[in-house]
Amino acid sequence: MISRRRFLIIAGSATGAVLLGSSQLEKALASARSESSDPSKPLWGMIVDVDQCTECMNQLVAETGNPDPKPECALACDRENNVPEFREKKWDPQWFKMLKVRSNLEGSEYLWVPLLCNHCRHAPCAQVCPTKATFVREDGIIMIDYHRCIGCRYCMIACPYNARNFNFKEPLDGLTEINPETDRRGHGVVEKCHFCVHRVDRAVKEGVNPTPACVEACQKEAEKRGFEKSALIFGNINDPNSEIGKIIRTSKAKQLRPSLGTEPKVYYVNL
Amino acid sequence: MAELYFEKIKGDSKGYYALIIFLSLVTAWGFYGFWVMFTQGHETTGMTNQVIWGIPIVNVVYLIGASAGSLIVSALSGVFGKEEYKVFSRMAALMAALMIMGALLDIFLDLGKIEHGLNTTLYFNTTSIFSWNAFLYTSYFIISVIYLIAMFERKDKLVKGLAFLAVGWAVLVHSGTGGIIGFIYSMELWHSPLTAPLFIISAIASGIGLFIPTLVLTFKFTNKPLDENLIKSLAKIMGAMIIVLLYMFCVEIFTRGYVPANLEMLRMQLFDLNTPFPVAFWVLQITIGMLIPLAMLIFPPTFRSVTWISIAGLLHATGVWFERYILVLPGLAYPKEVFPPGYVMEHTPPFEYAAVYVPAWPEIALNIGTFALIFLLFIIGLKVFELLPKTELLEEVSE
Repeated sequence: MISRRRFLIIAGSATGAVLLGSSQLEKALASARSESSDPSKPLWGMIVDVDQCTECMNQLVAETGNPDPKPECALACDRENNVPEFREKKWDPQWFKMLKVRSNLEGSEYLWVPLLCNHCRHAPCAQVCPTKATFVREDGIIMIDYHRCIGCRYCMIACPYNARNFNFKEPLDGLTEINPETDRRGHGVVEKCHFCVHRVDRAVKEGVNPTPACVEACQKEAEKRGFEKSALIFGNINDPNSEIGKIIRTSKAKQLRPSLGTEPKVYYVNL
Repeated sequence: MAELYFEKIKGDSKGYYALIIFLSLVTAWGFYGFWVMFTQGHETTGMTNQVIWGIPIVNVVYLIGASAGSLIVSALSGVFGKEEYKVFSRMAALMAALMIMGALLDIFLDLGKIEHGLNTTLYFNTTSIFSWNAFLYTSYFIISVIYLIAMFERKDKLVKGLAFLAVGWAVLVHSGTGGIIGFIYSMELWHSPLTAPLFIISAIASGIGLFIPTLVLTFKFTNKPLDENLIKSLAKIMGAMIIVLLYMFCVEIFTRGYVPANLEMLRMQLFDLNTPFPVAFWVLQITIGMLIPLAMLIFPPTFRSVTWISIAGLLHATGVWFERYILVLPGLAYPKEVFPPGYVMEHTPPFEYAAVYVPAWPEIALNIGTFALIFLLFIIGLKVFELLPKTELLEEVSE
């Protein structure tokens, strides 16, 4: 039999432990909610204007007659980051994909929506990586260390946005030219968009605004086609005076799958 | 009850050597399959950028389950003080150790960069259930080996303590493996709090299912008498677990199906005959794997015969393999719903509805080779270690 005194001690300390534990848990859960926005500490993000993408892609389809053409932005990404091109689509790594979507009502118009790594604030891929090969930089860019990646592909399973690609084949076999400025990978590791991190780092060092390859190509293409604005905007979300910072603060830019709470830093307008 | 003594088998018959040669050849074929995957890359498999895990992972999940089940069978004598179960506790513990080894081997050989594999031991990610499992699986293997050695050394108190530890650890390992699937919130067909308990229940059931025929055949070939009541009591545990499993499947499917957004993916998993899933689920998993074995255990004429019980065990063990298949693959075959509900995606490959995944021969070889290796090491183990009870003593006991 337990004496009353002993029972009270045990019950009291158990209650204490539960209260302490729950308060710690509450703190941990609350930390996910707050977001600092110090303009001097950049947090890189992107905005996609779906109307502009659709306009550009519709023109491209009409010009080429190809129902699923690869636009300049995606081509620039491939060239910049040594992303190989394979005929078998199931193995073809694509950092920047163009998807065709429409409302499920009969007769709805198609939209062209680019899909890339969403650089989530709470990135599921970094959460599940067994070796921390996928990690989050201070400026919010999600990176993969190809030397540490073991090729388990768990990140691809965890990614809600299909942003990741596995190197089923030797990437060299699918490359016509090699950009010496960026990494090359071997078969057996996972790869994805990193916002052209080398460009970002160089621009920050030079004190100018960084422009990833796809954004640069988009601007050129918009100019060539005589559009008023380009579809892709890149910049520092924390800076309320940057173009991207202003648009996000209109509260009209949407994130994909917001209910998961991954908080992507790629936003969509007109979707 | 008289003290049990154990012995090795002679292992000099033609049949024994023929079996060794056969299993070695199958193992070698499996290794060759792995070698092709390793040198030529995963393009030699049937996987795609959408269906990124294939049957090697199904096998891993299956073997971890069967291992935990086998260890729990082995620990029955220690944990519940059932002396009569001691006859097979050594054998079951060896099976458990071999199957977790097979599971580890399959995970490892399925990696894209095997040469980086040991990074899992160097860098630990506390938020990754996979990281925890790397620790849980290896420690579980070590615990089952120490447990086996303690039994060989007849350290009874230690064996009892280790039996408790091993069962607790098996539950942890299994909850961890359940977490690998159940924690994933990018796919509704994976995300479920029921996965971990479901894993433990079907681990016990499939562990027993695979162990009964192994036990019966081993005793038959070594001419040892086997107490039928032992087999029947194991079979009863298996039957009870099958009933719990069926209940849990119903709970899971109805809970998911109540969400309108999930109806389409459930329809694909359960009813779309253009995919292999309805056949795997209704025929192989539910009917052949669960309902028929359950009927065989309830129907008195079949429950009376050890042969029929063994067949029921084997059927259920096969059914659970398909349960694991249904757990892993339909979720991957259904494209992730990147856009809000109400949008239709013109799926650009590789992202398509009911993505096709046909396992290629290297994966099949890897899977079958792993099983061959497990049984090869098992029958070598019978010759090297004192695993089986002495025949004369058994006869005394059964009299």
